[in-house]
Amino acid sequence: MKFHAQQAARSLILLGFSVLIYMMHYTGEILLFINPKYLLLSQAAAFIFLILFFIQITRVWTLKSADASESCGHEDGCCSQDHDHNHDHGDTPFSVKKLVSYSIILLPLLTGFLLPAKVLDSSIADKKGAMLSIAGSSKKENNKESVNGNLSGQDTNNNDLQTDQDSISTEDTATVTGYENEKSEAEYEKLMKQLQESPLIDFNESIFSTYYEEISSNIDKFQGRKVSLNGFVYKEEGFSENQLVVSRFLVTHCVADASIIGFLSEFPDAGKIQKDTWIRVEGVIENSTYMDSPIPLIKVTKWEEIKEPESPYLYPISIRRN
Amino acid sequence: MIRLLRSNILDITGFTVILALLWLLSLGSGLKETIVIPPSLLNLNTIFLSILIEAFPFVLIGVLIAGMIQIFVTEEHISKWIPKNKYMAIVMSCSVGALFPACECGIVPIVRRLVGKGVPVAAAIGFMLTGPLINPIVIASTYMAFGNDVKIAALRMSLGFIIALIVAFIIGSLFKGTQFKQSFSAVTHSHINNKNFFEKFWSMLQHSIDEFFDMAKYLIAGAFLAAVVQTYMPAKSLLEIGSGTAASLAVMMGLAFFLSLCSEADAFIGASFSSIFPATSILGFLIFGPMIDLKNTLMMMSVFRFKFVMSVLAVVAGTVFIILMLLSGLL
Repeated sequence: MKFHAQQAARSLILLGFSVLIYMMHYTGEILLFINPKYLLLSQAAAFIFLILFFIQITRVWTLKSADASESCGHEDGCCSQDHDHNHDHGDTPFSVKKLVSYSIILLPLLTGFLLPAKVLDSSIADKKGAMLSIAGSSKKENNKESVNGNLSGQDTNNNDLQTDQDSISTEDTATVTGYENEKSEAEYEKLMKQLQESPLIDFNESIFSTYYEEISSNIDKFQGRKVSLNGFVYKEEGFSENQLVVSRFLVTHCVADASIIGFLSEFPDAGKIQKDTWIRVEGVIENSTYMDSPIPLIKVTKWEEIKEPESPYLYPISIRRN
Repeated sequence: MIRLLRSNILDITGFTVILALLWLLSLGSGLKETIVIPPSLLNLNTIFLSILIEAFPFVLIGVLIAGMIQIFVTEEHISKWIPKNKYMAIVMSCSVGALFPACECGIVPIVRRLVGKGVPVAAAIGFMLTGPLINPIVIASTYMAFGNDVKIAALRMSLGFIIALIVAFIIGSLFKGTQFKQSFSAVTHSHINNKNFFEKFWSMLQHSIDEFFDMAKYLIAGAFLAAVVQTYMPAKSLLEIGSGTAASLAVMMGLAFFLSLCSEADAFIGASFSSIFPATSILGFLIFGPMIDLKNTLMMMSVFRFKFVMSVLAVVAGTVFIILMLLSGLL
């Protein structure tokens, strides 16, 4: 019997990744990393790691002599003659180079187990160029209107609604995990109708980004409407004392691709509120500009501090077609 | 007797491994409350882990496919399937890549196996470039991100395909042979042919494990660097460099390289820049990013010679840049 330390290390690493992912799912921490739409996929990864672990542990012990061919295919038997075979089976002697590569592989396991996950904050928003992307989204939507043709007034409503739906439903909605941002067509239409008609536009989590895009692309139409929304406070150099952005991160796959959306808001108390505070505001939409791009601005009438929501991120909505 | 001992030892090994992990876990929960770590490091760690968690499923699928190629596809198959004519081979591989819904995290191990099995290196590179860039999910997400405008999505796919062809032709005229690192000179298994299916399947899984460990360190290093860039480099400082078309195109391509986003999610990020940059630069971001990024480059280094990887990087960057600059008047 021969013990292979490196094979043991590899099996430990495989199991480690599997346990790390399962643990994140178990504690719910996984929602701070990826869009719930991909939960099943990541569980599948954890499962594959587990399978690979069970295969790998058979390589930790090998019988010294004759049994080699039975126990592990080709390793001892063939690769000794054939050792320019093009990858490392983990049998070659241990070296500094290997130490470095194993340390790199261990790094995410260590930080994953030892450090808590963190909700992205306004410093990341700053690095991502928050105001630029906010200004960007409204201009982008303007382009879209010109493509759709110059329908005006009431007609545009229906038209926009229609196209939005078509595009959104193209997303794959095969996985059902209970967390994901999925709505039936009827629910979606009801929410869009509320956006057009309700006296107070209420931004709930699931529809936030859709409402945001609608409003950014038709600021004039929504001017004067009352809104109410939650978000964390983001401030940037060049803001005046009474300005802040009530912002959220929109996560498409994982938090690495989070983009920031939010409304520039104005009210006297704004200067007193610290960055990253979660607040709920109510106010009225007005026209404004940022770096020559038109953006919506909320004149806040009422605000209060709130607790950070359980799911701090927003996810693009997907429509289920029945 | 030996068999009995052996199965017990497997149990014991597994058990020890699990105990070690439990110990690590309990250590972790204690540490989480006691140690104070600067928030920016925690941000960094969160982004780093999220890239990995998102990439793992695709990498695992990639190494499983690579393992399958290694065990079930022989050199004879390859030489039968791939056209003899070099140019035909490239056109074919780019088309196969376009039909194959790969992700850039998972494609490097597959490319390496294909080259090991005798696919010309230029054709394999063509496959690597079109695989992640052209597939239904990327088309759908690009279409959505740009306000349901079909123009950007169509340009991304068509220009991407043409650029991949050009790059593969250039690589084909510059390089011969496998371009593997010396330690990995290509030798394939001659001893697998006489096994039954179960044994083949078993060694396929073992190969996948080895493949995973070959790739993992580069994937992890790449994810870490990308997370560092996201946490500490302000996008605005980049934007200050780029005002003209050429400068802004270079900036957006650089951004695509360093952010190392998944091709299925980068359209939303790209779209958020469309107010400040011309369509040319946005297309540079959308086409260059899926073809080659930081994570991917590091993974290629695990397989190919340094000089070759750098040349591929330079040729791809150069071709994307030149083609887009030539077309910038029309876009």
